[in-house]
Amino acid sequence: MSRISARLVAAGAAAVLSLTALSGAAAADTAPVTATGNAVINESNTFLQSAAGNGVVIIPLPQATPSYDSTTGFSASFPVAGASVNLAGYYGNVQLGGSLLFIDFATGKSVTFKQIAFSADDWRVTGVPAGGTTPVPLLKPAGVVRTTKSGTTQTLSASDLKVDANGAQFLDTQLNTTFFTSGQSVGSLSLTVVNG
Amino acid sequence: MRKTAAKLLAVAALATSLATVAAGTSVADPASLPNSQDIVGVGSDTTQAVLNQLSTDYNATLTDPNAPHLYSWDAIPTGTITTKSGATPITRPNGSGAGITALNGNTSATVDFARSSRARQATDPATDDFIALAKDAVTWSAVNGGHAPAKLSAAQLNAIYACTTTNWTQIDPTLPSATIHPILPQAASGTRSFFLGAIGNPTLGSCVVTGPQENEGVDPLLLNDVDAVFPYSVAHYLGQTVGGHSTPADSVGNLTLRNIYVSPTLTLVPVTNNVITTNFANSSFGRVVYNVVRDAEWTATDAHGTALRAIFGPDGWICNDAVANADLKSYGFLPTPACGTAY
Repeated sequence: MSRISARLVAAGAAAVLSLTALSGAAAADTAPVTATGNAVINESNTFLQSAAGNGVVIIPLPQATPSYDSTTGFSASFPVAGASVNLAGYYGNVQLGGSLLFIDFATGKSVTFKQIAFSADDWRVTGVPAGGTTPVPLLKPAGVVRTTKSGTTQTLSASDLKVDANGAQFLDTQLNTTFFTSGQSVGSLSLTVVNG
Repeated sequence: MRKTAAKLLAVAALATSLATVAAGTSVADPASLPNSQDIVGVGSDTTQAVLNQLSTDYNATLTDPNAPHLYSWDAIPTGTITTKSGATPITRPNGSGAGITALNGNTSATVDFARSSRARQATDPATDDFIALAKDAVTWSAVNGGHAPAKLSAAQLNAIYACTTTNWTQIDPTLPSATIHPILPQAASGTRSFFLGAIGNPTLGSCVVTGPQENEGVDPLLLNDVDAVFPYSVAHYLGQTVGGHSTPADSVGNLTLRNIYVSPTLTLVPVTNNVITTNFANSSFGRVVYNVVRDAEWTATDAHGTALRAIFGPDGWICNDAVANADLKSYGFLPTPACGTAY
């Protein structure tokens, strides 16, 4: 049953992804400096099943690329659109292409975040809600968190990824749910930034 | 004008020296021999005082006497120390480099972590993890009312430590004609290592004197030398002055922190409102201070790994507890949300 739920979520994500790709409604609107790489946000099967059980679905929108693995769960890869960051110095910002759509089917509410980014100052994955201008901290690297730097390549990996307290409050308010909680484990994070 | 600015900084520091005091009273070396399962560290002078405070406050949260407690051995005085029950006696590590060497030369039966005020270097084993504690910065200092100007560029500091600039008049013809005395902390100092990197790793000239304990302006070589130039941890300075964490030996003496000239429109000022200035911390003179652990132990699922992460990890006490946060600030450091990240 749980695998079926996860598959349904993945299938739903793919379906919505196709529609959104056609509409072209989710492009990042920042003007970043040259950099490449990607951020992979993984949602564990445990989180997926819990979310699905509460009617919550999180869908990556273009230019993010979704994938699903029955063992590791659902992943969304966001391309790096620009960066001025020192990951090992903990300052700067990485702009990511794509958006994130949160839907609560139980309440019929949704919220879309554009301008997805990783803020090294705040050490959070952030997003600007549609119609807004201020980034909301969404996810915090947790567990074993590691940064590396080799030449022009910087990486960040986190064995766990937790919902930020402010992000949880914002999402619960927007979706009219109580599903999101501070410190809720979502999955993992992998970020690679290559300065051009 | 430059003397006025330096005096203002000193006065401000003194005026606020009693304003902020951390929760408990920190101790230096452990008062009694730690148990074998305790988490014990050695190394950096810069972070020894805040680790003592963090140890005191962390241990106060523990109700199980057999739970791993946190202890930290100071960088000085010299001599042999037995760090915990069953440990191999070791020469007391003085500084980040010496602490990391001790970590790698022993097992967790003797050393669990090394305090480090420098980042990973190419010569450090890949099996070490540098776990972020907080942000700091390093600038240069000089005696209040002395001959040094209020600001120097990285290039000027490089030339001073290379001994190609030896007289203040080479910096500015209006400065007194006197020989500059570039001084550095002892060789294993992380602050020394970081500072030299920040100014471009000059080939040290013969005019450079090595010797004083880092972050201690009361050393006879520094106390009244109006021509001395000496690197200083901004956090440690703030801890000693604003935080009131000063002892007769661990004190700024007559030194005041000086600025870094970058361009005609940009001079980096290390302290604003008694806190490390953000753009200074995010410059090449800003640094992260760490606790270094063995990777295999950091990622282990056993009791030792769990204890390490419970103290130093992103979800651990230091990175999340309000008392720990206050301790870091009281000792002048900038808490970072990236606390607990391995580098």
